[in-house]
This record gives sequence, structure tokens and C-alpha cells, in this order.
Amino acid sequence: MKTFVCIKRVPDTSEAEVKVDASGKDVDSSKFSFDINDADNYAVEEAVLIKEAQGGTVQVVCMGPADADVMIRMALAKGGDSALRIDDPRIDARDPLLSAKALAAAIKGQGEEFDLVLTGCMSNDDGNMATGVALAEELGVPHAAMVKKLEVEEGKIKAHRELEGGIIEVVEVVLPAVVTIQTGINEPRYAPIRGIRQAQKKELKVLKIEDLGLGEDEVSAAASLVEMQGFYIPEVVSTAEIIEGEPEEKGEIMAEKLVKGGLL
Amino acid sequence: MNTEVQSFIQKYDLLGCIQCGRCTGGCPVNTRTDLNVRRIVYDALDEDVLEELANLPEIWDCTACHTCAIRCPKGLKPMEVLVGLRNILVESGVIQPTVRDALESAFREGNPWDKPRAMRSDWMEGLEVKMAEPGVRVENLVFVCCTIAYDPRVQAIARNMVKILNKSGVDYGFLSTDESCCASEIFNLGEIGEDGLFEMMVEDNTEFLNDYDVGRIVALSPHCYDALKNQYPDLKAEVIHYTHLLKELLEEEKLTFDKEFPQKIVYHDPCFLGKQNNVYDEPRYVLSQIPGAEQVEFERNRERSLCCEGGGGRMWAETESHGERLAEIRAQDAKDLGATILAVACPFCVLTLDDAIKAKGFEEEMRVADISELLGELID
Repeated sequence: MKTFVCIKRVPDTSEAEVKVDASGKDVDSSKFSFDINDADNYAVEEAVLIKEAQGGTVQVVCMGPADADVMIRMALAKGGDSALRIDDPRIDARDPLLSAKALAAAIKGQGEEFDLVLTGCMSNDDGNMATGVALAEELGVPHAAMVKKLEVEEGKIKAHRELEGGIIEVVEVVLPAVVTIQTGINEPRYAPIRGIRQAQKKELKVLKIEDLGLGEDEVSAAASLVEMQGFYIPEVVSTAEIIEGEPEEKGEIMAEKLVKGGLL
Repeated sequence: MNTEVQSFIQKYDLLGCIQCGRCTGGCPVNTRTDLNVRRIVYDALDEDVLEELANLPEIWDCTACHTCAIRCPKGLKPMEVLVGLRNILVESGVIQPTVRDALESAFREGNPWDKPRAMRSDWMEGLEVKMAEPGVRVENLVFVCCTIAYDPRVQAIARNMVKILNKSGVDYGFLSTDESCCASEIFNLGEIGEDGLFEMMVEDNTEFLNDYDVGRIVALSPHCYDALKNQYPDLKAEVIHYTHLLKELLEEEKLTFDKEFPQKIVYHDPCFLGKQNNVYDEPRYVLSQIPGAEQVEFERNRERSLCCEGGGGRMWAETESHGERLAEIRAQDAKDLGATILAVACPFCVLTLDDAIKAKGFEEEMRVADISELLGELID
């Protein structure tokens, strides 16, 4: 199995306060701590599990700055064989379609055929849920998104997709394919520091637009179909209406509100 | 493969063990776990069994209190065998998610609590804190501790220390967000070895701290105190615990109290301060200077202090231990003595004993207080 796994470097915003920066079109990331996107971490683990079960290779692809090298080395330490990092500020990485274009070019640039591309279903920062699916389109292969369980068979996969309400849809997809991975599909392993040190020996190629065989006009902000207008933090307001009266009265008023509100 | 395993026996001197059983006999978690360190030391002689031993859930019950090491007549450290077994699991990558997260966080953000480094000094808000600078002489360089820096319950230790230091007029300095985990618990969680995370953090921290021109480093947590003092071979500075400093301040009358504090105080000796580093008298002296307070002693005091089960990675590892928590037994002991204050000098003890008081429903009758908190109240 020749597998690619695409990972993204994102901020951990569970603790940090998110503020809009001076330009109004981005967030102030000065106090953020960064790490691998949650869902991508699960994708790395899944790729390594498949390699351990079926043999083959795992190549890690990441579009990000040099700071992302640490997390790339961690992925290599867990079982990745080599890595590609796209580092070019000319690419409008905020646009998932353009990101997918760049990632696809990196993957296709490796020459050989691939069997599987895994990536997280959604990123913790922008939350578009679009890059993985767009990637499939760019690569010209089928995809399965939001996959909670993956069974790899000869030439095809059975992907268990988690839909709303927790319903699982099982689809059979012919390889090569792209699969976007949902968190919880496995339990990511720990990469000991010793392993990360040893992973320094594995290849990590840094790529620019030229190495991808793309023109700037294909991946810059000018090529984006979406224009970032701005970020704002919604004003927090609260409305609470306390219903008074005896229990029977309160019940009647409550029922009326629910019916009027179209909730019943 | 063979040479690595050979060194497990050699590394932990397993052949030195005479199977006397003093280790298990003194192990505080003995009452509530299947952990039998004497048995494990014996079984570990067979290299084929090492992986099986590493997968025993009870190896995570060890609190690293070191009672076994102190009692061993051959001078061995049985609990380090458990750390070695934990290391086997860590190297395999298959460890409990909470342990994994703690290790990854320590590597990435310099603390095992999954908090951003940038927020490490947030506890200083609203306080006048003197900051230390590399190369500028400072008599007392304060090492806060990740748990104290980030956990809201024990941030009070640092905040009160600032109050005390400002009142006393001594020269001191705090580190900013550049302070990193001492790695004491990283060692106990088993991320050790030639290229271990523990060794890496010790090296980085040593380099960082040696850049400061200090009289001495004052650690707020006994765990940091123990690590910096005993596991940092190249650290230039002398290391003391904050109770050493407080004793000095009281003896030199740089700190005085004018309020009465009519409470019955029982002091719980933290394992990493007491039995591991023989610091028993300084905290007691400090408490004895509190006007109006009555000091009582646990029967299990000093070297025999009952471990609160906070150390040894226990803050992050799930265990299968059963029966009453040792901290709850301790809380009961304190209540039986009629104590109104259960005094401690360690953030882990504060957290576990606080939980125990709540679990037992004793909040009306007593509270847990770090010595720094008590003094802070008195100088208000």
C-alpha cells in the first residue's frame, strides 16, 4: 500500500483566548501554541496502522512553515517513511480549494501511483471540511469523508462514514481514493523523543510553487473564488425570560411559546 | 536486542536484590493495589517476561515516594525498575492517552498540563512581581513549577510567596514564561533513556538556568526541588525549598506576624521533601512561629508519612487501585486529631488532600493549606 497522509499545523485554541488582529482579517496568533491538527493526527495513526498490517509506505505531506518540521518528524517517528513540506507564502493557504491544488501537485509530483490518501476531515482553525474532498477532485479519484472505521481490502476499501445522528453509512470505494478521517477512529500512539531523533534521518523535502509545477496565478489569492472580508467576535448578549405563576399556568404559557416557536 | 535487555538487569542491579521484602512491606499503596515490587524485581530477571511485566496495569500505581529505596538494605531502588518497565511501554508508543498527552505537552509547551507556554505567567496578574534577568545577580531565583503556575487551586502558593517575598524585602526574581518543567514527573512516567525526553529537558533546563547569576534557586514544589537538586548534575546553583527560605526569614526577623491564628495545625510531610530529602524540621519550625497556633503530629509522620498518591505520574495515569485512597485515610487521621488545618508544602499534596477532604465531607471542620498560604494570610 502506498499511502500519503496530509497534515496541517494549527493553533490549539482550547485554552488560549482568540482575538482579532489589527488588520481585522486574521486572528492574533502571538500567544498560541501550535500542533498537528487533531483529525490529521488520527489520520497519521490510521496510515501507520495500515502500513503495519499491509506493508507498504507512508509519505507525510504538509503545507506549512519551518515550525511544522517538529510535528512532521513526529509523524515520521510514528511510522512515516518520508515527508514533503510545501512552504511558499505565495500560496493562499486559507482557501481550501487552492490548498488542495497544491497538495495534489505535491502528491502527483512523486511520480508513482498511490493507493490511498488520508487526511483529517476538518481542521481545528478554519473548519471548512473542504480540503480533503477537494483534494480527491484534484487527484481525479473517488473519496469517502468523515470516516470512523476503515477496512482495507484488495484494490478497494470499506469506509464507515459517521453521519448526523451517529448513523454509520458503509461505502465501498475502489482504490486509489482519498479518505478524510474523523477523530476517534483509533488511539494515536506516542512518539518517544528517541524515535523523533531517529526520524531526523528520514527525508523531508521542502517544496516551492515551481517544484509543484504550478504557476503563481493558479494558487495565489487572486486565483481564489473567495475574498476574506474580515473576522469579528460576535457580541455576547443574553436574553432570559422567567415564566412566573403557578405550575399549571407556567405549563400553559410554556406550551404556547413552544407551539408558536414552531418547536412542537 | 540482547545487549539492551542485558542492561536492564545491570541498570537496575536486579541481581543485588536479596528478596527480603522490605520494599513491598513499606510500600504505601500496598493496601490498595496489586503492585508487588519485590515480585516484579524478581520476575524481571527473565528478559522474556519484561514486556509482559511492562503491560501490568499495577506498575502505574507507584507514586515514586521512594519508601522502597529508602528501606532497601542493599541500597537498590526498586521503584526505578517500575520506571524502566514504563519506559518499555513509552518506547513502544502504546501508552494511556492521558500519559501520552502529558509527555507531548511537556515536549511542546514545557509543561505536562496541555497549557500554552504563553500563559505560564498569567498567575502573576495583579501582583507586583520582580522578574529575574539572565546575567543580573539575584539572590533567590524562584522556580515556580508547572502545576503551581497553571492549576487555579495551587496558583495561591506562588501568589502568596510573592506577597511574602515583597514583605520581607529580600532580593528575589521570578522567571517568565521561559520557565520549563523540571521533568521530575517525566522521569517517573518513563520517558527516559539515552535520547529520552527527561534527559533532553534536563539538558535544556540546565543550560537555561545556568545563564542566570543566582545565589540559589528556590523551588516552590518539593518535586522540582528534588529534581533540580538531585537529577541535574551540571546545574551550577544551589537549590533549596521555599521552607528553607522562610525559616531564614523568620530567624532573621525579616518576617513577623502580629495576628493571632488560633488553629490546630497538623503537618503532612510530603514524600519528595521529607523521606527523599530529609527536610522535616524547617517546615515545622515555620509553623511553630505562627502565633496562637497549636501544632500536632500524625502518628505516621516524618519518614513514615503516608504518601498522598500525587506523585509518580499519578496525576496523569489511570490506575486499577481499589479501596480507600491514602489521601482520604490521611484526612481521617487529621480529623481524628481534631486538626482544623492540614498543612502541606507541596502542590500535589494540596490537590490530593483537598479532594480527600471534600470526598469525606470534612470541609466544615478543616481545610488543607500550603504553608505559603497560611503565612500569606497572616501578613495580610
